[in-house]
Amino acid sequence: MQGYAYVGAMGVLIVVLYAYITHLYTKKKNADGLDYEKYSDMALNDDISDVPVAPVADKSDGKKK
Amino acid sequence: MENRPLEYDYTVAKWFMFAAIALGIVGMTIGVFIAFELAFPSLNLVFGQGLAEYTNFSRLRPLHTDAVAFGFTVSGIFATWYYVGQRVLKVSMAESKFLMFIGKLQFVLYILTVVAIVVSLFMGYTTSKEYAEFEWPVDIAIVVIWVLWGVSIFGLIGIRREKSLYISVWYYIATFLGVAMLYLFNNMEIPTYFASGGHGDWFHSVSAYAGTNDATVQWWYGHNAVAFVFTVPIIAMIYYFLPKESGQAIYSYKLSLLSFWGLMFVYLWCGGHHLLFSTVPDWIQTMGSVFSIVLILPSWGSAINMLLTLKGEWQQVASSPLIKFLLLASTFYMFSTLEGPVQAVKSVNAIAHFTDWIPGHVHDGTLGWVGFMIIASALHMTPRIFKREIYSKGLMTAQFWIQTLGIVFYFTSMWIAGITQGMMWRSHDEYGNLAYSFMDTVNVLHPYYTLRGIGGFLFLTGLFMWAYNIIKSASARPVEESELQSASPMGA
Amino acid sequence: MFHWLEKNPFLFAVGVFLTVAFAGVVSILPSFAQTSRPVIGTTPYSTLELAGRQVYIKNSCNACHSQLVRPFKAETDRYGHYSLSGEYAYDRPFLWGSKRTGPDLMRVGNYRTTEWHENHMMNPAAIVPNSIMPGYAWMFKNIADIDTAYAEQLTVAGVFGVPYNKPVPMADGSTKTIKMGKTVEDARALALAEAKLVAADMKNQDVKDMVKNGKIPEIVALIAYLNSLK
Repeated sequence: MQGYAYVGAMGVLIVVLYAYITHLYTKKKNADGLDYEKYSDMALNDDISDVPVAPVADKSDGKKK
Repeated sequence: MENRPLEYDYTVAKWFMFAAIALGIVGMTIGVFIAFELAFPSLNLVFGQGLAEYTNFSRLRPLHTDAVAFGFTVSGIFATWYYVGQRVLKVSMAESKFLMFIGKLQFVLYILTVVAIVVSLFMGYTTSKEYAEFEWPVDIAIVVIWVLWGVSIFGLIGIRREKSLYISVWYYIATFLGVAMLYLFNNMEIPTYFASGGHGDWFHSVSAYAGTNDATVQWWYGHNAVAFVFTVPIIAMIYYFLPKESGQAIYSYKLSLLSFWGLMFVYLWCGGHHLLFSTVPDWIQTMGSVFSIVLILPSWGSAINMLLTLKGEWQQVASSPLIKFLLLASTFYMFSTLEGPVQAVKSVNAIAHFTDWIPGHVHDGTLGWVGFMIIASALHMTPRIFKREIYSKGLMTAQFWIQTLGIVFYFTSMWIAGITQGMMWRSHDEYGNLAYSFMDTVNVLHPYYTLRGIGGFLFLTGLFMWAYNIIKSASARPVEESELQSASPMGA
Repeated sequence: MFHWLEKNPFLFAVGVFLTVAFAGVVSILPSFAQTSRPVIGTTPYSTLELAGRQVYIKNSCNACHSQLVRPFKAETDRYGHYSLSGEYAYDRPFLWGSKRTGPDLMRVGNYRTTEWHENHMMNPAAIVPNSIMPGYAWMFKNIADIDTAYAEQLTVAGVFGVPYNKPVPMADGSTKTIKMGKTVEDARALALAEAKLVAADMKNQDVKDMVKNGKIPEIVALIAYLNSLK
């Protein structure tokens, strides 16, 4: 019983891991053109007057706290 | 916001930075003192027989570990959060009176709790669990402080301008959640005064777990306190300060995300490696051992990512002492995340456990990685917080080399001491009797204990130079006109 | 598919928490009941022993002394039989320690006497030349906190069902009953009676006088605890 749960859990985790890797590395070519490397700029251009990498469109749209 | 342009407000960051400096000096001074007590036991009585109860090794040892872990390091984490958090979310603390109040309240409560901890540990109130020595009233105060920090994190996130969360924020959130979970479960304790209907000392409590279970929970906590206090938030720092100071984008942002999830998943399994050959079930021990090896992958993922960030910019290492600190910190991170798994291998652990190799390992992680990162972060923040250039670059360079030498003294002496003692404990003579008495193994350690004390003293000296440099920067340098970009300006 | 992660802090936090908690759920919970059963012959601590245990904790003896004998020949030769899980059933908190600056104390009661401890705690280097252990002279003056030990007994008996005032099976088939006072005065009297037995083997006249006058110094409680470690 534990053995099956273990193998099953491993399988699921492996699938999730590879899906995530694929997601990270193919996203750039997709239509919405999201490039993860762009996020590095969040540290480099972090003055309060700099343009955000991906701005929050409307600040009051009920973000979870 | 009307007339003056909006600026980041570093008030709380500044307060916590000074707390880190003060508590770092206190904690490490005690550390150097108790290191020499081991080498020269007469120091236990140096303040006289009357005070001996409060100055002997055993009473001071928890004070040392807690002062550096929860004083120096946690202040450093809070300071950098109140600095980095604003910047990468592109929102100023000045924009929310509420968050400003929470931040200041958190600081005040934090200082009061530190005082309570110092007094109660001196008096001998301790639960005996390592890194969780505090009795229940202090635990409650700590939970309150932690919740306030959570409000601050998610509050600042709630009013952010930058939609995506930068990797450092990921790590800060993980720190918040991880420590909250670990701390609560490990400190399940029952105040005996109330449970017994009003007998004895009201400060005293008894653990909710017994024996082997208590040990399992404690080292699940103990190991992961290392994860979520000494690793996760420090990675948050390096992912911000190294790219920022060097002006280089992270080598691979994707790798940083993968390492994050890897670290989160794998770290928590490793507690069992503190309990190898104990009475904890075998499979927990084996899990601890195996996952410790796996842990090398995400750890090195982050570390290599950092080193590669400097690709093509290696001249900065030579020219900037700040980059030197950052680079050596990631190197020590790689080093101790390799050393740890090696110690977690069962056959190595059989020799290493209970010896000085363990404090040696802890210290090359904490001094080399955590210490250097907090030192570097504070030096990077100083010119921005005070709008002044750093007082002396020469002093920084000198500090770097003195402290590096100190760490090398520390871990080399403890390696030799630990392996020597471990081998002597287990050796038999030709008739199958034990070859050495316990005292033989203590006598042989004296020179190494002395060397370790000297190493600690060198590091402490550097810490004083650091404090002096920052205080001088804040007072003696002219105010800079413009907001600074990447590399921190330094005076000669 | 994973895009929401970096944009939605709440779901992100839930994800991190699940990832982090997973290991704890799998590795800690299942073994709880199994490992907490006492082995035959393990008895709860008496009031005086428990007070001594609190002295041990107060002075962080566990910072330098382990209470865990690992199953190696070198360790069983030096310290006695290797540790069994059930032997710790009444240890709240556990005191395994993580560093042996001094030797293991798991079974110190088997090979050290009251008198040895008395002299050693006052000035270790006088008994063990070159010892780096500090002296604990104040334990001969400070009064042990019997009331808190009693409170702890009441707590563990009430909350965790530790068998005080009940027969506990011993290895030879007999039973042994560890007494706990009904009232706090009762508990003090029990502790004092036990302290008198310890003090009878001691040489220090001040300590003997204190016990005669109904006061129990910390050292007496500590020695009672150390003698119980077998």
